Amino acid sequence: MAVQEYPAPESVSRLQTRAFGVGAIALLLAIFGAMRSPGAFYQSYLMSFLLVLGVTLGSLGLVMLQHLTAGHWGIIIRRPLESATRTLPLIAILFVPIALFGMQYLYTGHGEEKGWLNAPAVGEGALSNFQKSYLTTQGPLGFYGRAVIYFVVWLGLMFIFNIWSKQQDVNRTDRALRQRFRILAGPGIILYVFAMSFAAIDWVMSLSPHWASTIYGFILVGGQLISSMAFMIAVVVLLSRAEPFSSILQPRHLHDLGKLLFAFVMLWAYFDFSQLLIIWSGNQPEEITFYRTRLYGEWGIVAVFVVVFHFFVPFFLLLSQDLKRNAKVLPKIALWLILMRLVDLFWMTRPEFTSSAVPTWLDLVVPVALGGLWLGFFAFNLKQSPLLPLGDPKLGEAIEQHHEH
Amino acid sequence: MEQHRSHIYGVMAEFDTPDQLVHAVEKARAAGYRRMDAYTPFPVEGLAQAMGLKRNMVPFITLLGGFAGGLGGFGFQYWVNVISFPMNIGGRPLNSWPAFIPVTFELTVLGASLCAVFGMLALNRLPQPHHPVFNVKRFVHATSDRFYLCIEARDPKFHIMETVRFLQGLDPHHVSEVMDD
Repeated sequence: MAVQEYPAPESVSRLQTRAFGVGAIALLLAIFGAMRSPGAFYQSYLMSFLLVLGVTLGSLGLVMLQHLTAGHWGIIIRRPLESATRTLPLIAILFVPIALFGMQYLYTGHGEEKGWLNAPAVGEGALSNFQKSYLTTQGPLGFYGRAVIYFVVWLGLMFIFNIWSKQQDVNRTDRALRQRFRILAGPGIILYVFAMSFAAIDWVMSLSPHWASTIYGFILVGGQLISSMAFMIAVVVLLSRAEPFSSILQPRHLHDLGKLLFAFVMLWAYFDFSQLLIIWSGNQPEEITFYRTRLYGEWGIVAVFVVVFHFFVPFFLLLSQDLKRNAKVLPKIALWLILMRLVDLFWMTRPEFTSSAVPTWLDLVVPVALGGLWLGFFAFNLKQSPLLPLGDPKLGEAIEQHHEH
Repeated sequence: MEQHRSHIYGVMAEFDTPDQLVHAVEKARAAGYRRMDAYTPFPVEGLAQAMGLKRNMVPFITLLGGFAGGLGGFGFQYWVNVISFPMNIGGRPLNSWPAFIPVTFELTVLGASLCAVFGMLALNRLPQPHHPVFNVKRFVHATSDRFYLCIEARDPKFHIMETVRFLQGLDPHHVSEVMDD
């Protein structure tokens, strides 16, 4: 076998070993927790699942966005993005526990409030006819059937873009292939967002079956783009500590990635605030429940924390050109934003179960378990192909050294 | 001699390619010249770095404009709805801040962009209907296909004969004296 061009450095193998190790230990603890208190376990599990799902699907979206826009930023991170999308089979497996065992804890409400799985047929708390036809486990288009459709759409897009990318490494001047990337990328983005919007309704919004928001899916998609871009910044800076990326990555690349992270933070804030503004203006009893539970008491503190540290602080830091070009500071902001994604998902899901905003020990263990397994799988994927897309027509331009004084 | 110098704005060399211009700027900086300006028909990559241009104040002015617009936008709505003309709208608090955010955001953008544009113009001392380089007839090519470097007379190292000789050594298309008026 010929020597691989742009091979992944040794640090990726170390990352893989450590991530799998930490993930496995945390998983054992998590399983122990699941035996003792399955309800609390699945609440943590849903939030952690949404985080790793977010990094994966956000990367799928960014792969397609990069094929549409062909920016230099995307060429630098295309292989890490593709490696992240190839963790989708793991995500599909991680969904199985929710479908098989977790639903009875997640979608059955708490206390007086009933969930959609155990809603009374008539009387107070009953679902409307339309809700009954949608929020059901029966039929080919029920909860399970739809989940299968979402994963088929995402896995299909993931396989196609990864297989073509591999072909491009061999047939580097294949113009028809470049064209095909572009033709599928546009509809692919629409499919991803559509499927995710429905998935957000099924898996998260249905925690409170009587409340609805049409922008809900977009809020999650915005968060997924933040997760993915933040993760990519951390990955390229980690790679830049050794060859080949140490002689490739330049401040202008980080500047571009930082600008996109900045844009995604604003996009997410825009979606999130739009929902609040519309519900605030409408002031309807059935709509305000979402914010009644989340803006007062202990959850109000978490809400302020999210607004300040998920939006304002990263916003003002990322305004600075110097910080976006700084390989020491930018990855720290990025990792902080990933942590903030988890806090935001905590704030979005947990208030449906309890008025206490204090995390349980499972809220620390389960994200580490899922995140560790995911990260190990990602590192494994990253080693499978050259770190740069060899057939990309703009590769030379993208890694050209600029004289930066 | 003193009298003559005061009529000279500088000496200008004309180049055929952007690369020649960037090299000329680098050599002029190396020779110790500081007061100079380059004129090109389109932005030339690397020119600003070669000229050693420092960061300017535009981002800071823009930030101030954004703050002023945002605070002013929110403050005015607060003053109207809470202090000047308090009115109960659907039972919401007088300081109904989520409703104020869109206007606050728009005025932040407005303040920032106005300050960016007018700050840039002010720092460039624009509008400026006349400039001494226009006294050189050949300078009309600056808008199409020629690249100019003008070393100005206020440079402490400027000496009319030596500077002309220096610029001629850079293989220019043409060198001309720029008269002040």
